[in-house]
Amino acid sequence: MFGRAGRALAELWLAATLMLTAQPAAAAPAAPAEGTIELRRGTVWTTVDGATHKAPVELSYHWDRQHGGRPGYATFELPFTLEAEPEVPWGIFIPRAGSVLEVWLNDALLQVYGDLTRGNGADYAKAPLYVPVPGHLLKAGENRLQVRIRADSARRAGLSRVTIGAATPVRTDLFESAYAWRFTGSVLLTAFSLIVGSIALALWLTQVDAAATGWRRRDSLYFWAALAEFCWAIRVADGVIAEPPLPWGAWGVLMATCYAGWAASAMMFCYQLAGWDGSPRMRWLRWPMAGMVAGTFAASAIALHREQPYWLTGWLALEIVFVALFVGAFAVATIRRPNVGRLLVAAAALVTLGFGTRDWLVIRLSDTYGETTWVRYSSVFFGIALLLIVLRRFHAASVQARGSVAALAERVAQRERELASTFAALEQVARDQARTHERERILRDMHDGVGSHISSAIRQLQSGQARPEELLRTLCDSLDQLKLAIDSIHLPPGDVGALLAALRYRLEPRLAAAGIQFEWAVDEVPDVKRLDAQAMRQLQFLLFEAISNVLQHAQARTLRIEAEALAGAVQLRVIDDGRGFDALQVPRALAERAAAIGARLALESRPGRTVVQLGFG
Amino acid sequence: MLKPMNIEATDTGKTHRWGVLVVEDDSRARAFFEASVQRSASLFWLGSAGTVHEALAWMAQTTIIPDVLLVDLGMPDGSGLDVIREAVARFPGCEPLVISVFGDEENVLASIEAGAVGYIHKDAAPEDIAQTIVEMKAGASPISPMIARRVLAKYRSLQLAGTLAAAPPEAALGTTTAPSLLSAREHEVLTLIARGFSYAEIARLKGLSVHTVQTHIKNLYGKLAVHSKSEAVFEATRLGLLSHPG
Repeated sequence: MFGRAGRALAELWLAATLMLTAQPAAAAPAAPAEGTIELRRGTVWTTVDGATHKAPVELSYHWDRQHGGRPGYATFELPFTLEAEPEVPWGIFIPRAGSVLEVWLNDALLQVYGDLTRGNGADYAKAPLYVPVPGHLLKAGENRLQVRIRADSARRAGLSRVTIGAATPVRTDLFESAYAWRFTGSVLLTAFSLIVGSIALALWLTQVDAAATGWRRRDSLYFWAALAEFCWAIRVADGVIAEPPLPWGAWGVLMATCYAGWAASAMMFCYQLAGWDGSPRMRWLRWPMAGMVAGTFAASAIALHREQPYWLTGWLALEIVFVALFVGAFAVATIRRPNVGRLLVAAAALVTLGFGTRDWLVIRLSDTYGETTWVRYSSVFFGIALLLIVLRRFHAASVQARGSVAALAERVAQRERELASTFAALEQVARDQARTHERERILRDMHDGVGSHISSAIRQLQSGQARPEELLRTLCDSLDQLKLAIDSIHLPPGDVGALLAALRYRLEPRLAAAGIQFEWAVDEVPDVKRLDAQAMRQLQFLLFEAISNVLQHAQARTLRIEAEALAGAVQLRVIDDGRGFDALQVPRALAERAAAIGARLALESRPGRTVVQLGFG
Repeated sequence: MLKPMNIEATDTGKTHRWGVLVVEDDSRARAFFEASVQRSASLFWLGSAGTVHEALAWMAQTTIIPDVLLVDLGMPDGSGLDVIREAVARFPGCEPLVISVFGDEENVLASIEAGAVGYIHKDAAPEDIAQTIVEMKAGASPISPMIARRVLAKYRSLQLAGTLAAAPPEAALGTTTAPSLLSAREHEVLTLIARGFSYAEIARLKGLSVHTVQTHIKNLYGKLAVHSKSEAVFEATRLGLLSHPG
């Protein structure tokens, strides 16, 4: 993308260089071609402020130099001699004449350019003119070409040398090449400036940095590039507009202001490029630049209003001094901190400064007439440098953006890896914690269950007073506890039905051995969600305790286990028909375990019916 | 370590007496089982083995087919499961029982799948041990609610796998066993056992005899063993260890 733009730039550069090297050849007065006559001498009648003078004249005639910027009329009479009536068609080439004019040959009106009765309107001095001559008008001997002009103030009015001759050399060799340089050249330059300006403007509009402060920041370098090129486009376009939309006064001010606007914007571009916008010592430079534009506006307005061009000439001299100082400072800054863009712009600025100075001398001071400005060509350099920098900067910005996208992706990936490792670590911690919990549970289990039973068996043996059946019961309890503990490993959390079934399976042989009838009234009950493995084990202990109490103390004939779900609330009951106990004296082990698993414990006891009830929900 | 066999007892008495072989590494336990067997009129003592090796050797050279095999799973030189498999393969009429302290699910299920038809608790009273053996020979099969629950869970997962595998015809070997693993009645009985009901209570609830309930369970044991075998064949076929039948 950028490579293609670079090639295009190189081609433009080449074209511009060729144009520049060819330009002096076009600008230099061409030697009269074979069969043509250059008309230099004659007589002029001038009318300024109502007074008419007749004088011999040697062309070119620069009206402003002759009349100090006063508008007026002039009639040039240019005699020439032909040996014979020409056989081929002839034509007249006028490199420059204006502001408006009529061309007469042997008292016949050949062509009218603009309205001689109206001043400050059209300006035909901008483009070279060609007037074909009807064959019968020329005669052998004395002929007389008459050019009548109306000259506006400070509009480079006047008449250049006129060439008359056979149409083929005059039109094709002289007029067409001059026209190409003056008119077509202006069109191309305008188009080029418009393109560069549009690119810069588009970049200025679209390349928005979301600055850290939150407010959107555009790169003003692009803006100044665009403004410079648009000013210049208008200024150069003037070269092809013979009849401007505004009267000369306003139009002239506009053109001068555009010229100054171009210079100031280009300087602002340099100012940005040199990084002076970030330096407090250089900030003041913006004010003289603004002053330059305002001053040009004022000076051109005064010059045109008073019809005294030296106001503008003088102001432009000041301007050139200021620009020269600025360009000098920029060149120094560039040498101190060079880079390709700055070197290019500095070179373009120096060339432009030189050309601008030359133009000021030639156009505003010297008597030469028919000369054209050089700055229009050097400005192409400037435009190319500007375009190159703008594109390079855009390229750099997009590379940087790509880089930051990649960096961002890398950071996201990095963060993801960190997260994954943190997650793995957390998972490991959770696993360790679960294992620790499980280990603690088993230890507590062994301590509360088997351990305490075995140690009480040992105490019973040591005391020497324990009856064998007591010892046997203790040891059986111990083994039952162990079996229940093993069962509890596989109990699904919350499945109270499974817990009761396992409990029955483990304890029924003991009950049967003790001669206690067993009744099973267990409905299918829903899972009690809040019972985790630990709580299931607690519930097992609790029920074991309750059944164990019946076995040891109640002297019951029947033990009944009930389970039911009332409106979603699970209720478990252990009922016996033994002798009962004081229900106000709730056994501590039962109360503590019930509280630990959040079950409502209710005791009810009288001889013949004791109910231990656990409610969940 | 083999005890002399009580051969003369085989033909005495009118009722059939069952020959019992015990494979158990703890000598006191062996003595306890021997005493239990000797005390029962319905059983006679074939002998005992203290290691897997001894048990296999005994089976390789015996002329008397054992009716009942009591096997401890944790042997010093291997697993009692190997003894169960060998015994079932060698003597189709032989019914192995696993000796278990806890009757815990893993071991019991593995034993059933190896061919055992039940288990006895090591801490049971001596008369209960003989009783359990005799009842087992008469058609009873003990099963705990926990094991019933596990069998049901396994059945459900098999059914799920069966419905998933029903589409490819190659899976016929695996699918034929799964749906027929449990009959509706067996499923019903098993569910009640898992909920803690005793055989007698189930018989009363369902209007069956206790014997029928027991038969259901015993059939179930057989199915589990067969199923585990076909499962192994299916696995082996799938892994390419056996050529596909047909």
